[in-house]
Amino acid sequence: MGKRSYIAAGLLGALAIVSGASAASADAPGVTSKEILIGGTIPLTGPASAYASVAKGAAAYFKYVNAHGGVNKRKIKYVYRNDEYDPVKTFDRTRELVQQDRVFAIFNTLGTETNLAIRGYLNQVKVPQLFVASGASTWGRDYKKYPWTIGYQPSYVAEATIYGRYIAKTAPKSRIGVLYQDDDYGKDLLVGLERGLGKKKGLIVSKQGYAVTDDNVRSQIARLKAKRANTLMIFATPKFAIQSYSSARQLGWRPKVYVNAVSSAANIMTIATLSSSKRQTEGSISVVFLKDPTDPRWKRDKAVALFRSILKKYNGGKGLRDVYNVYGMSSAFTMVDALKHAGKNPTRESVMKAATHLNERNNPFVLPGIAVRTTPTNRFPLAQAKLERYHNGRWVSFGPLVSVR
Amino acid sequence: MVFAADWAGFAQQVVGGLASGGIYAMLALALVLIYRSTGVVNFAQGEMAMFTTFLAWALVQHGVGYWGAVALTVLIAFAGGIALERVIIRPVERAPALTIAIVTLGLFFLLNGAAFWIWSPEQKYLRSAFSTRPVEIAGVQISIQDLGVIAVAVAAATLLAVLFRFTKVGLAMRAVVANPDSSRLLGIRVGWMLALGWGLAAALGSVAGLLTASPSFDQSFMQPVLLYAFAGAILGGIDSALGAVVGSLLLGVFLNVVTSLDTLGLGWTIDNDLRLPAALAVILLVLLIRPSGLFGTAQVTRA
Amino acid sequence: MKAVARNAVRVLLIGVAIAVMIVLPSYVSDFHSRDLAQAGVFFIAIVGLNIVTGYAGQISLGHGALMAIGGYTTANLVAHHGLRDVWTIPLAGLLTGVIGLLVGLPALRLSGLYLALATFGLSVAMPSILKHFSGVTGGDLGLRLVEEAPDKITGLSGTVTIWGYTLTQNHFLYYLTWSIALVLLVAAWALLRSGTGRAFRAIRDSELAAESFGVNRALYKTLAFGISGFYAGVAGSLLVVSAEIVNPLSFTFLLSITLLVGTVVGGLGSLSGMIVGAFFLEYLPDLSDRVSRAPGVASIVYGAVIILVMIALPGGAGGALKRFSEPLTTRLYTRSQ
Repeated sequence: MGKRSYIAAGLLGALAIVSGASAASADAPGVTSKEILIGGTIPLTGPASAYASVAKGAAAYFKYVNAHGGVNKRKIKYVYRNDEYDPVKTFDRTRELVQQDRVFAIFNTLGTETNLAIRGYLNQVKVPQLFVASGASTWGRDYKKYPWTIGYQPSYVAEATIYGRYIAKTAPKSRIGVLYQDDDYGKDLLVGLERGLGKKKGLIVSKQGYAVTDDNVRSQIARLKAKRANTLMIFATPKFAIQSYSSARQLGWRPKVYVNAVSSAANIMTIATLSSSKRQTEGSISVVFLKDPTDPRWKRDKAVALFRSILKKYNGGKGLRDVYNVYGMSSAFTMVDALKHAGKNPTRESVMKAATHLNERNNPFVLPGIAVRTTPTNRFPLAQAKLERYHNGRWVSFGPLVSVR
Repeated sequence: MVFAADWAGFAQQVVGGLASGGIYAMLALALVLIYRSTGVVNFAQGEMAMFTTFLAWALVQHGVGYWGAVALTVLIAFAGGIALERVIIRPVERAPALTIAIVTLGLFFLLNGAAFWIWSPEQKYLRSAFSTRPVEIAGVQISIQDLGVIAVAVAAATLLAVLFRFTKVGLAMRAVVANPDSSRLLGIRVGWMLALGWGLAAALGSVAGLLTASPSFDQSFMQPVLLYAFAGAILGGIDSALGAVVGSLLLGVFLNVVTSLDTLGLGWTIDNDLRLPAALAVILLVLLIRPSGLFGTAQVTRA
Repeated sequence: MKAVARNAVRVLLIGVAIAVMIVLPSYVSDFHSRDLAQAGVFFIAIVGLNIVTGYAGQISLGHGALMAIGGYTTANLVAHHGLRDVWTIPLAGLLTGVIGLLVGLPALRLSGLYLALATFGLSVAMPSILKHFSGVTGGDLGLRLVEEAPDKITGLSGTVTIWGYTLTQNHFLYYLTWSIALVLLVAAWALLRSGTGRAFRAIRDSELAAESFGVNRALYKTLAFGISGFYAGVAGSLLVVSAEIVNPLSFTFLLSITLLVGTVVGGLGSLSGMIVGAFFLEYLPDLSDRVSRAPGVASIVYGAVIILVMIALPGGAGGALKRFSEPLTTRLYTRSQ
């Protein structure tokens, strides 16, 4: 029912509900014999709306599951609202989902600032905040204070710790220059890098921040070059990662590059190569945990074929080259898994219990060998990844699975 | 404590600032063009450029050669600009300037949404018009792309100045803004002059978009550029083509220099996160001294 | 005779409007009164913006930044100094009013687009400034009153009791916001009818003429910004009281632009039109979102509606009201040709 029709109905005097902010009732809100209602927020308009695929991929996967019988004969209804990446709106829409739509749980809300905005409230009213789509480590770490919250993706701190350790071990004479996004995400990666370097922290010769609202990062890259760095850490979103490569090329600078997983999808690297040169991207290092639909490695992979067919059937064929859709599906797969294990008549308590006792070895959207696993004291579902190196225009993974919690 | 100055580092920042400024200048010129020929600020200028850049990309994807796509895009932009004026600006032609500005804001959202509706949101690649190969001059790296952008901006400004000062059409366009009613009495086709202004601005904007599209672009890529172009145009004087270029280049340089003061041997510089506030403060200071911008004439208001 | 009739109609309309506003919450769901409260926040902000832009003729693209100052004042006082949220509202208004006076200073030198850019600069720079001074503002993550000072939030338990009446938190926010809005509306109306209001309009219509009639340009321009700032500060404060959190991402320059859209849609120089502007700002984005989930459609609808409304009502809702009501009274009392 739309807001407009609420007013219309209200003026006719047909609707006079004053429900009050009541606490959770005995039988779980949002669960009927036919349906489980979950909700979340995501930016659907504005500059951050590229992330909308995180919700769309998940929504498409739920439709696929529903078409195949649902979960314990219940269909999953996933409502996602537009928060424009504004925490005040996130809170407002989430409150609406809880108070007005009476969702069973909040799922897959995107962003660090946005999820922080609602965490206190959701824990106060005891509504599960499931599989937060943000790499801040607080989602997995602070479960004592926020028992109703659990993260999903590898933490940024852990990812950068891996780069730091790798550099300390393989190239202890590096001069490291860091480009980072000047917000919680970028700063987490910086913290991780310093942690991984340990005693070799002094290798960092310069850190340059940029704002998401900047148009380019040339000035920052030029300063890193001027500090005679020979290793470049790109802790930036795809647009700025591509710019880093291309600016370095225009400055005649060819450092060894570490690019964060947010920006290392194969199609991004292809653009980075085209707009700089083959030699500029050659040897770049990153980590990977999802199957990237643009990576030739997965051309014949069953899960990627499933991914495509789901998008074709339930998303109008949009986003076939978009790794955020894979992320959304992977997260939805885990949500379905948690619901399956939450019992015949799931409650908010039982789904929280299931979400903290995951042992998923069959999530098709993550790299082979990675298990999605949690315990009540280990709330990092996706905690493994692989290092990869860019060689001859494609990623090649190397080394064993590494822990990213 | 004495800090050594790093002149090459400083010069590199100035050059980088000029290169960014060249990009802002192209869009600033489009803003000035619409302002001079119709008397309004077009908030949708950046999104129009974004949209035509996507068109160029789509043409290339469909097998059209790069330069062919560029030529077609500029033509489509010109026709599109005229069409937009006729369809959505014309009905509010006589409304207060702020009403027209809000209509262009509506157009901003409309075009942005349309681009998201038609094309997927990942980063897109369109080759650059110029080579990105760097050339070294006295220890400073500058790419052929940068030189090309600045050259195009200066050429476009010159053409505009010539158009407004020396051609009959340009004179007619200026007359229409100054006094639409007497222009009509003189036999100038006011409506078409306004449309022509929009067409030319859209065409110019499309070139700005194509130059900004490298290394990658998406549906939001022109938004920061619009902001800087607006600031650059105001700094230079909103009714001056020369001012738009000088103002934008200066803004590009300010943005880089305020965060690179340490290269001057000061041992201190402004943090990156205060870069924009600092650059805007500089602009405010300049405006307080010259209230109509560096090259602007005392303004004609239309409110 | 005409004037009497017009005033009678006006009083009647105002009475009906107030009555509708009082009973409205009982006809919508509880949560919905929170949305209606949000509309009240927009209303206060654009009444203030209208004073400076619609009546005094000074374009401001900086009102989002002023709202940020009001909002952060409240957040900081509650989270760091233990004040109860509602008591910070007047303080936030006053502080923002003072800042508004300062923002008005460039208006002494600049006008038109140049002034618009100066104020726009403030709203563009505001998020960076808020992030930078993290000791006061909480930086990137902002301040979360729910967690930092839950006991200072009125109605966090779900209900509020005033003078023996118990209200839900959402109803409380609704009545709080709209009571303040009503007081500020009456104040604006009185102000604009006074000599100050005449001075504002004189400056808007012609600065030179105003000055030759002895209007102190500098005084009234800065005063307009100061008063307008007070309104923005109260709006920002109420926004935070209701949201219980504050974050730099909520105060981007888009907010300033949005407020200007609301003011122009409502009608520059019309106070009654602001109610339309406020509801437009509160409900249009949400209605657009609900048209379709397909990417971009929400923005397309949002943009198209703005364009169509402006084409249909170039003077905004207020302009249309005038056009509609004046011929009506004219029709009633004079023979049409």
